[in-house]
Amino acid sequence: MRRFSALSLNQKLAALAFLLGLGALFISPARGGAVSIRPDELARIVQTEIDHVTTDDLADWIMQGRADYRLIDLRDEKAYAEYHIPGAEHFPITRLADASLTRNERIVLYSDGGIHSAQAWFLLRARGYQGVYILRGGLDEWRDTVLFPVLAVAPGSFEARRNERLQARAVHFGGQARVSTGGSPEPVPVAAAPVPVTAAPVVAAPAPPPGASAPAAKKKKKEGC
Amino acid sequence: MSTTTDTLDQQWAATKERADGFARAAPYTNPYLAGIGLGLVLLSAFVVMGRGLGASGAVNAFVAWVVSLVAPGHAAGNEFLQEYLGDGSTHPLKAWLVFEVLGVFAGALLSGVLARRVAVITERGPRVSVGTRLLMAFAGGATMAFGAALARGCTSGQALTGGSMLNAGSWATMMAIFGGAYALAWFVKWQWR
Amino acid sequence: MNAPFFKYGMFGDETSLVIAFAIGIGFGFFLERAGFGSARKLVSQFYLNDLAVFKVMFTAIVTAMLGVTYLGWLGVLDVSLVYLTPTYLWPQIAGGLILGFGFVIGGYCPGTSVASMATGRVDGLAFALGLPAGTFVFAELFPWLKRFFLTGDFGLRTLPDVLGLSHGLVVFLVVLMALGGFYGASVLEGIFGTGDAPDDARQ
Repeated sequence: MRRFSALSLNQKLAALAFLLGLGALFISPARGGAVSIRPDELARIVQTEIDHVTTDDLADWIMQGRADYRLIDLRDEKAYAEYHIPGAEHFPITRLADASLTRNERIVLYSDGGIHSAQAWFLLRARGYQGVYILRGGLDEWRDTVLFPVLAVAPGSFEARRNERLQARAVHFGGQARVSTGGSPEPVPVAAAPVPVTAAPVVAAPAPPPGASAPAAKKKKKEGC
Repeated sequence: MSTTTDTLDQQWAATKERADGFARAAPYTNPYLAGIGLGLVLLSAFVVMGRGLGASGAVNAFVAWVVSLVAPGHAAGNEFLQEYLGDGSTHPLKAWLVFEVLGVFAGALLSGVLARRVAVITERGPRVSVGTRLLMAFAGGATMAFGAALARGCTSGQALTGGSMLNAGSWATMMAIFGGAYALAWFVKWQWR
Repeated sequence: MNAPFFKYGMFGDETSLVIAFAIGIGFGFFLERAGFGSARKLVSQFYLNDLAVFKVMFTAIVTAMLGVTYLGWLGVLDVSLVYLTPTYLWPQIAGGLILGFGFVIGGYCPGTSVASMATGRVDGLAFALGLPAGTFVFAELFPWLKRFFLTGDFGLRTLPDVLGLSHGLVVFLVVLMALGGFYGASVLEGIFGTGDAPDDARQ
C-alpha cells in the first residue's frame, strides 16, 4: 500500500481508470421490464394530440426520403404482405416489446383505423418510449387522402395546384386521385380504370412532384449539437 | 515577411502584452483533473437531460432567428434554418443550447476571474500582427461553423458527447477533426510559431 | 431512480433552460481551467508541443463513458433515452475535416471561443463573429448541399454495433487506448518540448 501512495496523482488516476475499464468488461446493461405510467402526463399528451402524425406529413417524409423515424405496421402478416406504406416494418403488438426499438427513436405506429395503434402507443409510452407517434386515421385515412385523394371540383387556381399535387402524390404511391361527380355518393377515379393497390416499392428519395410546396408541418425543433 | 527589427518589435509587443495582462495569473489546472471535471459535467447532462453538450447548434439557432427577422419568407423556405425555427410556437433562441452557451460564457468568466486570467489581449504567435490574427480568427470561425453544420456538431457535440456515447458517426467526426487539423497545421504555422 | 430526469418528465422545458445555463457554467468553467480560453494553448496540440487538448478531451470522454456504463448497469440511467445523433458518415467525415481546418486557422472551436471571449480575448470574439457567417453560407448553399448532407445514412450506430463487440469490451478498449494515448502524449511532449506552449497564461 505504501507503494500505491507513492505514485503520482496522474498515475493513481490512470490506475483507477484502468480498474473501472476492466470492470466494464464484466457488467451488462440493465434490462428494463418495469412499466410506469404517469396518467396526468399521458392525458395531457392525448388531449393536445402532439403525438399525431397526419397522412400528409408522413407522405412528405417518405417522399423526402427522411430516415429519422421508424414506421411500424401493426396489422397481421397477410395484410402487411398485401400492402403496406413504403418503409413500414411489420410488428404485431405482442412483439413490440422485443423489437429493437430504442426509446429515443421516433416511432410512428399505424393500423387500419386508429384503435390498435392507439393501444400500442399506450403500451410503448408506459414502457418509457418517448418518441411514439400515431398516424392519424391509420391506413384508412392513408387510402382516402394519399392513395385515392378526392380532388376539388371546379377548382380555382389554388385548388387546381393542390389537385395537381394530390394527383402526383397519389400516383407516386401507386394510387389514383378521384373526383366527386354530381349526384353520386362515391367519388370516381380520374382515369378510366382504378389502379389496383399493390405494395408500393420502398423508394429512395425521388424528386418531389411538380408544384409541391413545403407542407405546414408540425415539426419539433431540432434536438442536436 | 518583414525586417528583423520589425519581427523582434512584434515579438516584444506580444510578450509585453501578455506579461502585463497576466501578471498574476495562476497556472493552468492539471489537464486530467480538468478533463474529469468536464466529464462529470457531461455526465450530469446525460443524467439530468438525456442529452449532451454542444455549441454549434446555438449558432445555427441564432442565425435562423436573425434571418427570420430580416427575411422571414426566405428563412421559412430554407430547410436547414427551418429546423431551428420549428413550427413557430417557440422562439428560436429559447433553445437548450443557446442557454447552455450563455452558461459557458459565465462559467469561463468565473474561472478566469478566480485564476486572474482575464485580460483584453489578442492571442497570436510572435510573427503575426493583431490585424492578421483577427482576420484569421474570423475565417477560422466561419470555416468551423460550416464544417459543424455539415457534421451535425462540433468538438463538444460530436467528439465529446458522441465520443463518450460511443456513437460511430461521432468517432468518425472526431478522427476527421484531428486529421484535418494536423494536416493543415504546417501550412498555418506562421500564425502561431 | 429514473434518469434521464427530463425524459421521464420530471420537469418541463422552462426548467430545462435554467439547467442548460447551469450545465453550461460547469462546461465553461472547466474549459477555462484547462487553459482552453487561449488559442495558443489549443493549437499547441497540433504542433505536438502541448497535448492538453487530447488529454482533457479523452479524460472527459472516458469519465462520462464510464459513468454512463456504470449508471446504466445499476439501472439508474436509462441509456436508450439519451439522445444519439444519427450517423451520416460522408458529410460527417467531410465536416470533420473542415472543422479541423478551421481549428488551426482560427485557433478555437465554437465552445472554447466563447470561453476565450469571456476572458477578454479579442481573437476569441473575432472567431465567434465568424461562426454565424459560416453558418449563413452553409444555409444559403443548403439546397445544393442537401443531397450530400443526407448521404451515408446509417442511422443510430454505436461502436459496439459497428465493431460487433460487446459494449463492455469497447469501453475497456477505449480506456486502454486513452491511457496509451496519455503515455504517448507525455513522450511526444518530451520530444518536441513544451517551449512554445504556455503552461500558464503568462508565457
